[in-house]
Amino acid sequence: MLENFSFRTIVEYLPLFGQGLVTTVWLSVLSFAGALAVGIVLAAMNLQRGWLFRVPAKAYIDAVRATPLLAQLYFLYFGLPRLGIVLPELVVGILALSLNSGAYVAEIIRAGILSIPRGQVEAGVASGMTYIQRMRLVILPQAFKVTIPPLLGQAIVLVKDSALLSLIAVAELTRAGQLLASDRFMPAEGFITIAAFYLLLYYGLKGLAALSGRWLGLAGART
Amino acid sequence: MTSNRSKNGTGMIEFRGVNKWFGALNVLKDITLSVEPREVVVVCGPSGSGKSTLIRCINGLETIRDGDLVVDGQRLGDPATNMTRLRTEIGFVFQSFNLYPHKTALENVTLAPIHVRKIPRAEAEKAGRELLAKVGLADKVNAYPAQLSGGQQQRVAIARCLGMRPKIMLFDEPTSALDPEMISEVLDVMVAVAEEGMTMMVVTHEMGFARKVAQRVVFMDAGAIVESGTPDEFFSHPKTDRSRAFLSKILRH
Repeated sequence: MLENFSFRTIVEYLPLFGQGLVTTVWLSVLSFAGALAVGIVLAAMNLQRGWLFRVPAKAYIDAVRATPLLAQLYFLYFGLPRLGIVLPELVVGILALSLNSGAYVAEIIRAGILSIPRGQVEAGVASGMTYIQRMRLVILPQAFKVTIPPLLGQAIVLVKDSALLSLIAVAELTRAGQLLASDRFMPAEGFITIAAFYLLLYYGLKGLAALSGRWLGLAGART
Repeated sequence: MTSNRSKNGTGMIEFRGVNKWFGALNVLKDITLSVEPREVVVVCGPSGSGKSTLIRCINGLETIRDGDLVVDGQRLGDPATNMTRLRTEIGFVFQSFNLYPHKTALENVTLAPIHVRKIPRAEAEKAGRELLAKVGLADKVNAYPAQLSGGQQQRVAIARCLGMRPKIMLFDEPTSALDPEMISEVLDVMVAVAEEGMTMMVVTHEMGFARKVAQRVVFMDAGAIVESGTPDEFFSHPKTDRSRAFLSKILRH
């Protein structure tokens, strides 16, 4: 069985996989930055008491979470041009991942803020802090700590989701595997190799999570 | 003990016919009470009698439904009253301390002075160190709350309030969450604050503290002030059945 497995071809295609890996990494970084921006805005809207901001934010989050990422990607890729908005594949891909992941990030941030005990808000109020000061000095620094681990989990999901961009011809890691599979009829070699690279990225992010955990643990433990 | 109560000036804290409801529950019933500058008033009563709600109204952590509440000459709920500004004049010590866990003891004390009072950092830190030394925690300046005992945390919380140079200090059961051996270290600090002439309202069942520094004890039950008098009058000669029943329960041991 293994005599049919061509390591030589994998080595031959390594530059292509390398390019795919680099593309996956930077488009994931950009998408996650976008997701953070989308998530912070949505979480802020969702935490308001008035319905004016809260209802649209909730509707958006529900819509994103209820529909497949693939459907959202196809809507942006095939749907937007029909509406007169034509964007390059890469931009559509990053946009789709940002908008999708942003909904999940919003819920992580909201949960982090709501996990801070009521007494912290009251301590800030009692010392004469404004809403903005309480958020900036008391709530967000504490919420930040508790959201780091779930945010890194969401980043791992995003990296794997980015494989879907191969379907709109973005030359990322999975696309490299597809090319090997279709050019040389070597799907086993192609997809095993990308699996190994994804595993590499996964351990990279996990290491980052462990590092940040240790770093945050040093800066004042929570009671 | 000589009383500093002025006889005819308006009080530092004035409740006039204050009512508050939680849903259908009348948690404060027609409260009328005046606390004079430099006066120390102890509020006691059974659990759920509205003591905490009473003092939480003073800095607006709770809002009142009707009646007047005037603090430092400013009427709460009046559009002309800047609540955020008024709160800087009122220190509030919580039962559960509520220190900022991500800040050191010193940072807890200096945070509001720097950002709210706009005192220069160096000056705030100098004052903060002095206050921590005053509450006996000079060696814990750089400790985080999680590294401190309950009694130490509560003393940091008191220093945090004093850092704002308030005119009024409110204490909401400050020793109820503490292990017995830590209660006196907190009470000692409170006695020192009282002796410097701070206007204080203290929700507590610590009778020793009340006898030592309070000019008045207010007894509440079911949202109303049932009895009020000097500590000696109240503890030795309670006038109502409800206060007698309450005292027999807390003094039994």
